[in-house]
Amino acid sequence: MAAPDLVDQVLTYSLASLASVARDWVAIFLSVVTGWFLAYAALKSKVFENVYVSVLETLESVPVISFFPVVLVAFVYGIGGRLGVELAVLFLIFTATTWNIWMGQYQAFKTVPNDVIEVAENLRFTFWDKMLKIYIPYSIPRIASNMLPSFADALFYITVSEVFSVGNSQFSVFGIGTIVANLTAQGDYVDVGIALAVLAVVVVVNVFAITKFADYAVSRYGFETEAVKVARRGRVRLGLTVRAGATLSKAARVARLVPLRGRGYVMLEEEGEKGRKFEIPTKVTYSLLAVVFVGLIIYGFYVNWGTVETALPYTGQILLGLAYDYLRVAVISLVAFAIAIFGGYFLVTHPRVEKPVIAFLQTFSAFPAPAYFPILFLATLPLVKSVFGPLTNEFYVLLLGFISTFYYIFYEVWLGIKNIPKPVWELMDNLNLGFFTRLRKIVLPGLLPYIVTGISSTVNSAWGGLAIGEFWPSIAQGQNLQVSHGLMLYFALWDEQGAVNLLAWGSFVFGVIVVIYSVLFTRKLMDLARKKYIMEESVYLI
Amino acid sequence: MDIHADEGEFVSIVGPSGAGKSTLIRVLGGFVKPTEGEVRLHGKKVVRPTPKIVLVHQSIVTFPWMTALDNVKLGMKYMKLPPEKEDELARRYLEMVGLSGFENFYSKQLSGGMRQRVAIARALVAQPEVLLMDEPFAHLDELTAEGLRNEIYSILFNTDSPLKAVIMVSHNLDEVVKLSDRIYVLNGSPSTVVKEVKVNLERPRNPMSEEFRAIVEELYAALTPVKKRVPE
Repeated sequence: MAAPDLVDQVLTYSLASLASVARDWVAIFLSVVTGWFLAYAALKSKVFENVYVSVLETLESVPVISFFPVVLVAFVYGIGGRLGVELAVLFLIFTATTWNIWMGQYQAFKTVPNDVIEVAENLRFTFWDKMLKIYIPYSIPRIASNMLPSFADALFYITVSEVFSVGNSQFSVFGIGTIVANLTAQGDYVDVGIALAVLAVVVVVNVFAITKFADYAVSRYGFETEAVKVARRGRVRLGLTVRAGATLSKAARVARLVPLRGRGYVMLEEEGEKGRKFEIPTKVTYSLLAVVFVGLIIYGFYVNWGTVETALPYTGQILLGLAYDYLRVAVISLVAFAIAIFGGYFLVTHPRVEKPVIAFLQTFSAFPAPAYFPILFLATLPLVKSVFGPLTNEFYVLLLGFISTFYYIFYEVWLGIKNIPKPVWELMDNLNLGFFTRLRKIVLPGLLPYIVTGISSTVNSAWGGLAIGEFWPSIAQGQNLQVSHGLMLYFALWDEQGAVNLLAWGSFVFGVIVVIYSVLFTRKLMDLARKKYIMEESVYLI
Repeated sequence: MDIHADEGEFVSIVGPSGAGKSTLIRVLGGFVKPTEGEVRLHGKKVVRPTPKIVLVHQSIVTFPWMTALDNVKLGMKYMKLPPEKEDELARRYLEMVGLSGFENFYSKQLSGGMRQRVAIARALVAQPEVLLMDEPFAHLDELTAEGLRNEIYSILFNTDSPLKAVIMVSHNLDEVVKLSDRIYVLNGSPSTVVKEVKVNLERPRNPMSEEFRAIVEELYAALTPVKKRVPE
């Protein structure tokens, strides 16, 4: 390869990487700005809040591929042209970045200390005063802590977002995702390596900037809320923040923003006519907004019933696929959890190793697995085949799922262990408690809120890995990666066939199951955890 | 500095904030390695935390997911006793600290004073020879603290207990005079022992008595002015 060619290539890859990263930042920016207003709306209306939080929890769990039908109709066919495709890609990336940021902002708004709210009410702050002087600054640390997971998520989906096809139509935009996908398809692995190296540099620079911003955000805007009473008006389920824990070096301080059961619960009553006049219409407006939102979903379903009806016979297949996928998710979660517990404990008890390993993991988690996975696949295929035989493809799907989700539970558990109060460590040392006694009696019960959050994040994020891995035609050197059963596989196949009705019905069933899972498992477990298993409450301070 | 505790002694260390009292007590317990000097128990060097020297924290540590009984049992885990024996001992020590009948209560159902009693029972059930207490009454309201202060001496030096000595850190002068046989006063920067006071008053001690007040005054005089380091 001639030197000028190499320079040209590096330049092209750099521009492509910057274009991809720029899309991420646009999506993050849009998420942040819209999230502030939505969070404020949630504060003002109970009805809106309940709808908003439930929808967020569901959307956090639905992989990007579920949005394809919407994207196609709204952007690619509706707007059309390059702009339509570009907006479609932006929307797909938006779906990967936004939910955890919105959830983080909502939680930040809900946990503003009572004293601060009282000052604002006392001084008759206007809406903009409250937003600019209280709510927005207070939400900055949480936004910062959610930025890396969002950035990483968006890059993870880069290969499916920048290049996508439905039926015979393929759509793509200029970006490193498109370039890597094309080079991989051509089998040009040397160039794939160069492209990945360029992307790695861009990722490292961005991760560094994000971590610095997070440090700044916590030191500049972080409230020390340990002794501060926190307003918990309505639903605050911070422990369930998906990916919020996958955070940064000063994360322990951010994590202290967790509202604990038993702390202050103050409902400020509006006093004076002026306040009442303003408040009542606002509540009604936001409630109406929530009702309209739910109405739109029902209406959309009603209008498309003719299309959905044809998909009903596939419900059994959808549920079977989902059962397979939940089994995969369970395997991934268990392995990730075991590694997180032992690894997290090791890192916290070995501070010298901790810092470089966490920095490495942060960077590596932001590096998109689907971009390098074909190379990993190619390099390890003979060995994996000899060990796993007919389960080779299953192994790779689980591996991709693991890579795509391991960091969330790891950070969550690591944070939890890091937040164990010093007197508890001293007590464990003092009483000569062995490693497993510590785990069984103290660390695991005390970390339950973190563990539930971590498992919840892991379960939700694993879908992304499965969505890509269960059906990956021509992953490398003409090899296909495909499993026999799995909802994500069916989605990919229906997507290829352009069967929008099956995709829509499948996504709907999937969404319903996710909500049921959330209500029956995650919420119940989190309620139990928050009732009794809070490590911070093992230390009595008045 | 040279600090020692003899058998049957209740020793206290007082000093102004920032004098390093809590660090010193952690050095004595083997939690913090001293940059110079050493800690010895019966002549043997203490290099790491051990159940022979148990620390009772200022921030009362009891686990909300365990009952009072389970919290106390934690102190015996290192002994690997049969469950029935663990149960019997834990109940006996809870009774010793006045919590009979509260065995199945969770931390949240107990007051601060009761939680500190649980922590003390857990410390004692570990069969320590030395008990270290880092401002053990600091997080209790005054009435609860006073009640516990009145009982603590007899609880600690109960005949059933193998405890040989207690070392307590505090900045409450009345408290240390009420409880201690000997008091070390830290002051200056870097801190040194500026005074050692023997308290030979009969127990129970009356804080209003002339002798009691005289010792408090003596301690106060040694602590003031607080000697701060002057920047060079």
